[in-house]
Amino acid sequence: MQHKGWSIFFGVVLLASFLSIAISPLVGWWLPANVSTFGPDVDKLYYVILGFTTFFFVLTEALLVWAMYKFAGRPGAKGVYVEGHHRLEMLWTVVPGAILLYIAIAQIGAWEKIKYPKQMPEPDLVMGVTARQWDWTMRYADKPQPENARTWAEVPSIDDIYLPDELHCWKGANVRIFLKTQDVLHSLFLPQLRLKQDALPGKTIPMWFNATDFNTRFNERTGTCELTDKSKEWEIACAELCGGGHYRMRGLLYVHETKEDYLKWLEHAQKAARSRQPEKKPTPVAAKD
Amino acid sequence: MSVSHSHAEAHAHHELSFLRKYIFSEDHKIIGIQFLFSGLIFFLIGGILALLVRLQVGYPTGTIPLIGRWFPISWGERMSPDFYAMIFSMHATIMIFFVIIPLLTGAFGNFTIPLMIGAQDMAFPKLNMMSYWFMWPAFAVILSSFFVEGGAAASGWTSYPLLASATMPAGDGFQSPASPHSGHGQICWLVALLFVGISSMMGSINYMTTIINLRAPGMTMFRMPMTVWAMFITAILQSMALPVLTVALMLQLLDKTINTTFFLPPGGMAFGNWHTGPGGGQTLLWQHLFWFYSHPAVYIMILPAMGMVSDIISTFARKPLFGYKPMVLAIAGIAGLGFIVWGHHMFQSGMDPRLGTGFMIATIMIALPSAVKTFNWLGTVWGANIQYTTAMLNALAFVAMFVIGGLSGIFMAATPVDVYIHDTYFIVAHIHYVLFMSSIFGIFGGIYYWFPKMFGRLMNEKWGKIHFALTFLFSNCTFFPMHIIGIAGHPRRYYDSTLYRFLDNVQPINQFMTISALLLGLAQIIFLVNFFWSLFRGAKAGANPWHSNTLEWTAPSPPPHGNFVQTPIVRRGPYEYGNPEIEEDYEPQAAPQPSAVPTPAH
Repeated sequence: MQHKGWSIFFGVVLLASFLSIAISPLVGWWLPANVSTFGPDVDKLYYVILGFTTFFFVLTEALLVWAMYKFAGRPGAKGVYVEGHHRLEMLWTVVPGAILLYIAIAQIGAWEKIKYPKQMPEPDLVMGVTARQWDWTMRYADKPQPENARTWAEVPSIDDIYLPDELHCWKGANVRIFLKTQDVLHSLFLPQLRLKQDALPGKTIPMWFNATDFNTRFNERTGTCELTDKSKEWEIACAELCGGGHYRMRGLLYVHETKEDYLKWLEHAQKAARSRQPEKKPTPVAAKD
Repeated sequence: MSVSHSHAEAHAHHELSFLRKYIFSEDHKIIGIQFLFSGLIFFLIGGILALLVRLQVGYPTGTIPLIGRWFPISWGERMSPDFYAMIFSMHATIMIFFVIIPLLTGAFGNFTIPLMIGAQDMAFPKLNMMSYWFMWPAFAVILSSFFVEGGAAASGWTSYPLLASATMPAGDGFQSPASPHSGHGQICWLVALLFVGISSMMGSINYMTTIINLRAPGMTMFRMPMTVWAMFITAILQSMALPVLTVALMLQLLDKTINTTFFLPPGGMAFGNWHTGPGGGQTLLWQHLFWFYSHPAVYIMILPAMGMVSDIISTFARKPLFGYKPMVLAIAGIAGLGFIVWGHHMFQSGMDPRLGTGFMIATIMIALPSAVKTFNWLGTVWGANIQYTTAMLNALAFVAMFVIGGLSGIFMAATPVDVYIHDTYFIVAHIHYVLFMSSIFGIFGGIYYWFPKMFGRLMNEKWGKIHFALTFLFSNCTFFPMHIIGIAGHPRRYYDSTLYRFLDNVQPINQFMTISALLLGLAQIIFLVNFFWSLFRGAKAGANPWHSNTLEWTAPSPPPHGNFVQTPIVRRGPYEYGNPEIEEDYEPQAAPQPSAVPTPAH
């Protein structure tokens, strides 16, 4: 390849990379739906960083490719005998430094909102999720807001029901999940909620979300939950290597439209669960007369 | 001992046996070449493992193409999920600990440091020899771990408890309830890495001492080439970080063999109906200890390449390195900041999120010295007179690809975004852009550049360029789309992601990357053939085929034992290229005529 051809080669490959990102949103290779109240904070930060990084990518790669083209060697020529440039050095230290500092400080609020336990809103729905090799066990209390959520998180109650791989809530509810694992590390990942939290052995970790859209309607006649739209099959995945079955810890997120719909489902689920359980209370003596 | 006498006098009466000259050698050049050969062999092994990973991910269901018939029919003629976990875990382990670190620090560090500073050898030649031979127990253990009961380690190269550390009591044969691979295989992994760590620590002491004490007259610290600066700072990183890894490995080894509970929490754990006893430890402790080393480790894996690239670019741009002192400060900045960012691997781990905020700020700032270096490389090629040798192409590719790898790091440094992209392929993309596309291009550049000095022959330039072009093209095709599937949420370390509807759109990309990876692997055959053919039939190289300024090019190709017939006297810095006042476009560091020309423009 002729000397200048190398710059063209670099340029073509870099351009193809750039274009592949540019077309991605148009062909469905992009962030999934965002149905979380703090989701927009995450996505906005992503786009801000994407903007800055795209700018610097184009700037530096274009300069590199151009330099490779323009300054390809000629016999007998010499490079410019320059060791540096103090002002330039200051410029390209201070400007990126300021941009980075801005990005760092501007995002602290979003992180606090998602993860700091003290900033989590009062829950409308408290749940437990326990991970294990290789499924999720969701624990639902008798009612959405048990007294003293933190104690409930640690102490099983006789009225709890346990369902594998199904996370039910309703639109607009502040959901607080207490995440545990009974064996190795796992990580609860809800892509459409922009939420992820590792489960640590020996610890109970609070996490929260509030879904801004619903995808489930409870059908009282059949006793099943129906997806309102095929495109809204919102999934749960494990995001921390936990052994051979790591890839198949798939669960489903059911966001009911209203609290009433959720409660109808809950009642049905409780009946079904309790019908499988042995009697817990002594049968009251029939006092008919 | 004075370094100004000829080394030949001391050894004139004593001819070494073949064994002492080439096998158990104390000569830094031979040791460097030993590291080079073992590193390249493991590169082949690690590369094959990578192709196995890609075959699984690209074709997760049905008979696996190409290799299906080698798997049992009872497995469905494909690998099992545990097998897959083993493959990607060992791929990463081998690439990090047996390829990149040994090649950059062991091969290039050893070969270049004494030559570039004008020394006869390292400060501690026997220690140097031991640092290579301590790798052999590691080689033996890590390779035989594939054949032990339960197979090789399969808990990722990160070996997080409790998947890695859970073990039955010793009386039950070191089985693990968490995974069959976490029994003997994991124990082998820990032992192998202990040996690698000891080897590196020995090397790092040698490098620091040599660079501080054995520089030739006139070789002030700020006349050292960037390669040496990078190796020096890398050695400091290794010496301070490795002890922590050593401790972590020992703690996990104790948990697995004598049932200590450093990483077993007070509640114990349950596998089905089987419960362990309570522990007194913390799972998170491993992550802190491991990442306290492994974050500096990633800088260990890039700083030497950055140094080498600076020297290669300056040489073939025929122009001084732009911003020599800022470049040195940037390397120091990356290394220093590199010690206080380890928690960014643990943002989602369950550690106190307030720590996350702290680590986030330091991590975002580490982009700054990296950016400064990139701009200075651009400044070096601006106004240059570029010679497009294979070494130069690889070095320029380093710069172009490091831009991408570095920029992608900013996304994961931002904690809210990391909530989403942690443990997705976005991370895998970042890893491979800084490791394959940067460090490996740096290593290739270093090989093409220093091959003549090592072996007295030149590698073939035409085939070198073909190898470069195919590698550049196919590596971008293999790794760039990982950013895309990562943003779609594709988790890493997944045996089969077709179970998930939200990933339906990106499945074809997996196949594209697999095919690209296979082509990338095939392209490396060209390099292998060129390397070995040139060893025996390459064009003979003179002392300074590249017209480079640094001291190694004043010694013969290859240099004799003792390197320099006469100790060089250094009169100028390493980047005197393109001086308009002299006829030649380069002025070696130890060239006799003192430079009587005006200092270059700033």
